[in-house]
Amino acid sequence: MEPSSLTLAGSTDAALESVLTEEIRSLMAPPPESTSSFTALLELPRTRAIELLHSPEAPNSPGVAVPGGPAGTPLRRLGGDGGGGFALAVGSDLAARYPALFGEKNDSVETSSQKVKSEPLTESDSNPNSSPQPLVSDPTVENKGQRPTKRKDREKKAKASAKKSKNESSEDAEELPYVHVRARRGQATDSHSLAERARREKINARMKLLQELVPGCSKISGTASVLDEIINHVQSLQRQVELLSMRLAAANPRVDFNMDNNFAENMSLVDSNFPSMVMPFMWPEVQVNESRQPYHQQWQFNSLPQPVWGREQDNHNFITPENSLLSYDSPANSDFEYCLDSWGVIQFSYEQINRKLEVLVVVLSLHSRATENGAMKVD
Amino acid sequence: MKNPQRSPTNPGSLRSRFTQVFLQSLLRIRKHNPTSSSSSSHGEFLKRCRRVKVAAYVSMARAVGTRRAWSRATLWRARNGERQRNLLYGRCSKSNSRERSLGKRKRKKKKKKKRDNEEHSFGHAKKLQKLVPGGEAMDFCCLLDETAHYIKCLITQVKVMRSIADFYSL
Repeated sequence: MEPSSLTLAGSTDAALESVLTEEIRSLMAPPPESTSSFTALLELPRTRAIELLHSPEAPNSPGVAVPGGPAGTPLRRLGGDGGGGFALAVGSDLAARYPALFGEKNDSVETSSQKVKSEPLTESDSNPNSSPQPLVSDPTVENKGQRPTKRKDREKKAKASAKKSKNESSEDAEELPYVHVRARRGQATDSHSLAERARREKINARMKLLQELVPGCSKISGTASVLDEIINHVQSLQRQVELLSMRLAAANPRVDFNMDNNFAENMSLVDSNFPSMVMPFMWPEVQVNESRQPYHQQWQFNSLPQPVWGREQDNHNFITPENSLLSYDSPANSDFEYCLDSWGVIQFSYEQINRKLEVLVVVLSLHSRATENGAMKVD
Repeated sequence: MKNPQRSPTNPGSLRSRFTQVFLQSLLRIRKHNPTSSSSSSHGEFLKRCRRVKVAAYVSMARAVGTRRAWSRATLWRARNGERQRNLLYGRCSKSNSRERSLGKRKRKKKKKKKRDNEEHSFGHAKKLQKLVPGGEAMDFCCLLDETAHYIKCLITQVKVMRSIADFYSL
């Protein structure tokens, strides 16, 4: 029984962590930010938390020993019913914390059996915000059974065991769909104040995240001024968007202005189809040597699959002179990093590129013939 | 020079999705309004600016998808236009009725509970609600959440737009 339950505990720990991982990721802003705020939320050093989390044996904390015994068994029963591994002491604490997972236990066990046990510390940090606490809610878990909806601990026993425990401050399993709040010693335990406290802590956690997101906000204390900063930041970002849209609206006709409309279309297509990113790397060589064919062969291999460029034989002769109209100097190359970020996007859209290049062939055939004549003369 | 074969770190990322959609919309705008700078009047230029701005927001909302309330709100607003905003508090439209009814329910819930704890931040929250699209139908907690995601997306949007603008202004 023991080894099997141990392994089950291990797998369900991983299951728990994986499920929580998904929940956290779906509910929150990027994980790194949530990580820092969670570790800030935790009152416990990480190592201890993870120790508690991963120890499948009886609970380590002294205050837990007493309620751990009798409370462990009903959860073992529950665990046995559902087939999960929540029966063990620490696992039972987790089960008390996340009883919604009882309903999904079976699924999580099945899915997690293949998952790696060594979850990143970030996820395990969110789990043990409950682990230092004693198994206070075991009776409550027993009472509530398998309700998977959002709930809070009633905490009639919370006060009693809170005295036994280290009197950690109330914690908020914030990024889960339900909230467990521990009453501090001597605080009211009626549902209204609990709900308010939960809300306040939720809001505080989110404010912390926002403070990290907005530069220069972490030093400000006080909700009102932080909100002011956030409002200013959003307004400045929106103003920047307006300015940039004006720049783009102004720059577009200039693109037409530099070249003919055909070339503008070409450049627009090229811009969205990234050969322009490939071209700057080819140009210096092309312009130096004046023999374009070998370089364009190279270009074909580098940029797009053969069938696409098979149609493009006409075009590379004139594309380079046209693009030389734009000053692709070295300062411009820094922007190509950004265009290269959209590389992957455009790699997806081969069909679009094919269609557009067909149009390109049709539109620019005249120019290509003209430049071919010029190139032949040079050769 | 950078290796042209270098692939992006995340081809499905928000930034790449936004770039794709935004470039497509820019192309469309340029196709529909092929005016050169000499012939365009000031009014047309302003109209074009507005179109580009709306395209930027809508393409960002599309890149985000409908997971977020603010993206849903922008898409709905773009689809229905300004005059529909008057109907926002009256009738229910199909796409947004769920949001608004949720918002109303949350507002009622707020009134039942003690409000004095949150009053101190509500003054600023109203301003923030106006800034963030779809912010009116949200309680403070969700508003903060949406604001965080909105700021993140705005930063991405500004970066991409700036790079595109620099690219074009060469």
